[in-house]
Amino acid sequence: MQKKIIRQIIFYSILLILWEVVVLLKFWPEYVFPSPLKVFATLISGFRDSSFLIAIGISLKRIVIGYGISIVLGGMMGMLMSKYKLVDDTLGGLVLGLQTLPSICWLPLALLWFGLNENAIIFVVIMGALFSITIATDSGIRNVPFLYIKAGKNMGAKNMTLFLEVILPAAMPSIIPGLKQGWSFAWRSLMAGELLFVSLGLGYLLMIGRELNDMSQVIAVMFTIALISIIVDKLVFGRIELGMRRKWGTERNI
Amino acid sequence: MIEICGLSKSLRGCNGELPVLKNINLQIKDGEFLCIVGPSGCGKTTFLNIIAGLEHAKRGNVLHNGLPIDGTSPERLVIFQDLGLFPWLTVQKNVEFGLKFKKLSPKERREIALEYLDMVNLIHFKDAYIHELSGGMKQRVALARALAIDPEILLMDEPFAALDAQTRDMLHLELQKIWVKTKKTILFVTHNVREAVCLGDKVIVFSSLPAVIKASFPVNLERPRRIEDHGLMEIVRQVLAELQFEIEKVFEEEFDAKENN
Repeated sequence: MQKKIIRQIIFYSILLILWEVVVLLKFWPEYVFPSPLKVFATLISGFRDSSFLIAIGISLKRIVIGYGISIVLGGMMGMLMSKYKLVDDTLGGLVLGLQTLPSICWLPLALLWFGLNENAIIFVVIMGALFSITIATDSGIRNVPFLYIKAGKNMGAKNMTLFLEVILPAAMPSIIPGLKQGWSFAWRSLMAGELLFVSLGLGYLLMIGRELNDMSQVIAVMFTIALISIIVDKLVFGRIELGMRRKWGTERNI
Repeated sequence: MIEICGLSKSLRGCNGELPVLKNINLQIKDGEFLCIVGPSGCGKTTFLNIIAGLEHAKRGNVLHNGLPIDGTSPERLVIFQDLGLFPWLTVQKNVEFGLKFKKLSPKERREIALEYLDMVNLIHFKDAYIHELSGGMKQRVALARALAIDPEILLMDEPFAALDAQTRDMLHLELQKIWVKTKKTILFVTHNVREAVCLGDKVIVFSSLPAVIKASFPVNLERPRRIEDHGLMEIVRQVLAELQFEIEKVFEEEFDAKENN
């Protein structure tokens, strides 16, 4: 554990030094390629005057709504696909096809349908996560060993209880990776959507940086975006996955 | 009581219908420990599944307390070969699972679960997850989970087949002790003749496909029996003699089939 931290410290120090060296060599003017210190200063002042915090708040609100809706919708679509052959034959193929479409391709339609507003962005976020979650739920439920279902039924579980107490928990190990993938797709869609107009989120902050030729702001915002994904990944999905591995005994290093 | 009259069953195979069970007549009395042995692939599991209500009989009557069996019921509880314990629940929650469908308070559920975990000596592992247990411990959890539901009959489908010999011997003793204590009706399917004679009040020999009841041996020996007891040997020999003929028949048929291909 300690070894890992030392390695990481050394790695990132070298990265920072290289960055500084490139700045000192002056390939690009300072305003195009800022030094790490300058970026750090922008980061601090961005958080101090709360412009970053406001942007983070706005972006997070959008992703929570959009991702939340896609979990509910995707979960329901996945369940229906796994249960009804008719839904699988029809919707199943469409979902597979649409999943290959980058969600930002929905933006032109979203702008026409909803206008230049919140709903358009949330729609794009939903489209980003929806299909991964649908497919993961469907295949997760389908791959539940029949033995668990037989055992559950034999002990007296029926219909809804059988689904909630046996099928769903048994499918969770396949559903969680789908939720995780959906999250990262949703996050990307959100940033792409926010870049395109005055949306006040983190993506918009990036655009302002570009328009003002303030590359240190651009890089500082990029850091923030990456940091938020890492935190969510580690704190939310990391914990869920660790808990699941402990229960199911698929943990490594024991 | 389970009554089986003129039971026949075929499964759909690649070469059309494959008759599996043929005209089986049997009574399983309350409190009886009945073992079924037969050559592998002879339809023992199909037979057990029909009594469990997991498969339908094609012809004949299968009655449970006078009523035809239709679908599974917690009164006829199966302990599957691969157990089907739930890996996402702790040992105690696994045992409590079937109690959720009875009208019991959470406290009563917990008490019953702990009582049966105590009976199989696993009370200290109540908070463990299934993957943390050894093969023998998993068997005991499955037994506790089944007994907690208080079914009329336990249907055990080669539950000890994958265990090492020492663990199996120990579980044989434990199962007999529990049977004496709870007086449950048990239908135990196995391909291991010694195991069948060691455990059962009665051992029934199935023939090769399509299975008919070949012979029935009462076992009136004192309990608890151990697999190496001398008293068992004579009955084991008789059962084996019946079975040997059937096993050879299976071999010959498989050999002929290969030649013809």
